[in-house]
Amino acid sequence: MSARPGKYLALIPVLAAYLGMFVFGRVQPDMWQLVAMLAFYCCLGQAFNLFLGMTGYVDFGYVAFVGVGTYGMALTLSRLSGVEGIGFGALVIGLLAAAGMSAMLSIAVGAVALRLRGAYFAIATIGVNEGFRYFIEGARIWNGSEGIIFSKDLRAIFGRETAIALSTFWADVFVIVIGASAAVVTLIYMRSKIGFALTALREDEDAAKVIGIFVTKYKIIAFITSAVFAGLLGATAWALKLTYVYPPDAFEIHYTVEAIIIVMLGGAGTLLGPVVGGLLYGLSKYWLAIILPGFQLLIFAPIILVIIVAFPEGTVGYLKKKVRGTALERYIV
Amino acid sequence: MFAEQLAGNLIQGLVLGSIYGMATMGLSMIFGVLQVVNVGHGAFIMIGAFTTMTVFTKLGLNPIFAIPFALVIGMALGFLFYYVVMQRLIKAPELASLLATFSIGIILEETVKLTFGSEFRGFNWETGKLDLGVTVLPYSKLIAAGGSALVALLLYLWYHKTRSGTAVRSVIEDSEGARVCGINVNWAYALSFALGIGLTVTSGVFLTMFIPVGINPYMGGGYTVKAFVIAVLGGLASPYGAFFGGLIFGLMENGSYTILATIKGVEPFALTRFFSFVTLLVILLIRPTGLFKSQ
Repeated sequence: MSARPGKYLALIPVLAAYLGMFVFGRVQPDMWQLVAMLAFYCCLGQAFNLFLGMTGYVDFGYVAFVGVGTYGMALTLSRLSGVEGIGFGALVIGLLAAAGMSAMLSIAVGAVALRLRGAYFAIATIGVNEGFRYFIEGARIWNGSEGIIFSKDLRAIFGRETAIALSTFWADVFVIVIGASAAVVTLIYMRSKIGFALTALREDEDAAKVIGIFVTKYKIIAFITSAVFAGLLGATAWALKLTYVYPPDAFEIHYTVEAIIIVMLGGAGTLLGPVVGGLLYGLSKYWLAIILPGFQLLIFAPIILVIIVAFPEGTVGYLKKKVRGTALERYIV
Repeated sequence: MFAEQLAGNLIQGLVLGSIYGMATMGLSMIFGVLQVVNVGHGAFIMIGAFTTMTVFTKLGLNPIFAIPFALVIGMALGFLFYYVVMQRLIKAPELASLLATFSIGIILEETVKLTFGSEFRGFNWETGKLDLGVTVLPYSKLIAAGGSALVALLLYLWYHKTRSGTAVRSVIEDSEGARVCGINVNWAYALSFALGIGLTVTSGVFLTMFIPVGINPYMGGGYTVKAFVIAVLGGLASPYGAFFGGLIFGLMENGSYTILATIKGVEPFALTRFFSFVTLLVILLIRPTGLFKSQ
């Protein structure tokens, strides 16, 4: 593989978008909440796209990884709050726990589901979030159906001021960083053997196998990577920001629905798609919440149908076709 | 004491299982003919539940009269979604049909939420009870179970004894060959999709006869997962397999609940639902073609 100049130029627009969100939020402090929401959706889409976009497999239980990541941070903070002088070490351990726990769940689920193709894969994953939620409630682990409230622990570790800053500002900054990192990893994958193998798999899994690609390995890599980013997103956007975790909320299928909408709207398998989809979805949700509260799914579900039937490449996929052969080609991927 | 409780719960499980089975036949039928997994399955069951509730509370009719309404509404929805969306996706990658049925489910849920609100509802249908000693069965549950078995039988007869049923079976075997023999394949797809949805909506009527509480626009999600477990138990593409899969699942669910309830420190209801999910994974892993026949 020869190193092409400009191999990673496509990162410029996507990283600019994340940076733009941050700068906009700093310049307009009263808009920070909106920025936080947009960053959450972009990051959710970016992480989800790593698997759905690259493999063409739909994981209907995706939110389980976000939920487990939330638990990773919540458990760490509530268990370590008694340790003297732990400080920011707790945050690092929490992030590691979140990433590790979602990786473990993804290995467990993937060990079964990734052996299956297409429809059977979707069937195997659709119950993952509910299944895990009922496991927590049923076996009464991790405080069972009562959930964990750890705002007191957060204050005990960091002090009042820092705890508030963590929840209201740093959690959102982390989300932006995680989203940008997911974008970087997406492009690295796209430009490496993993991406080529997954493209072959997405186009024709049997043909890919026949020419000697070990498809399962690459599916697992994409699945775990996508799950780890979801776990980190849960640890920051949910655990740090809300300072509680409650099983029915953490495993709500609604967020999988939103992830699907974002990725399809922007363009599955593209680098820039999740950001475009996340911004489109987040902004219209924000706007619809003002003029037509409660209608956003009723509006977006038919839009998804139209996209699937008439426009399956999404916004960025469409743009990509338009700029083919022009100077912009390197930037829109 | 425990044996009596187990026996009682297993009888209840068998009755509930026949309804579960019927509630899965539509899913299996659509997969068998169109190779499409209806991820919005539960939403159609929910439509049946709301149909029953409306017929009972607004029109003041016996829930049995909700059956024709449900079948007509279901088939109409089935034809509508087939001709507007699904027929364009027959040859598309699986991703497209999965996301499409998922979106259709959301459209139904959100529409019902706007019309009826999202709070839980229920109704009270008094029919008297049958006392079996170990357990008590209201006649409404028995009617629902009997109706489910009858529907399963009717579907079998339709498949094997009528021209349109035979046409659909030939499309399952070989859609190109069926086309050559002059069968309108697109019509066979449309009819199967509509019948599958019609059956699913009708199963919502039976389910609410059995459990007339807990009706809400989002009630279907749990049934989607259960239906997948049952469908896979019975071999995903076989509607009768689904019926027997339902019976097994009903017994399994109530049996494991009874056993789990004896363990201290766990939540038996939640764990039962967890185990039904684990069952799904185990069957997919060891025998994805279902328990009854091998391929």
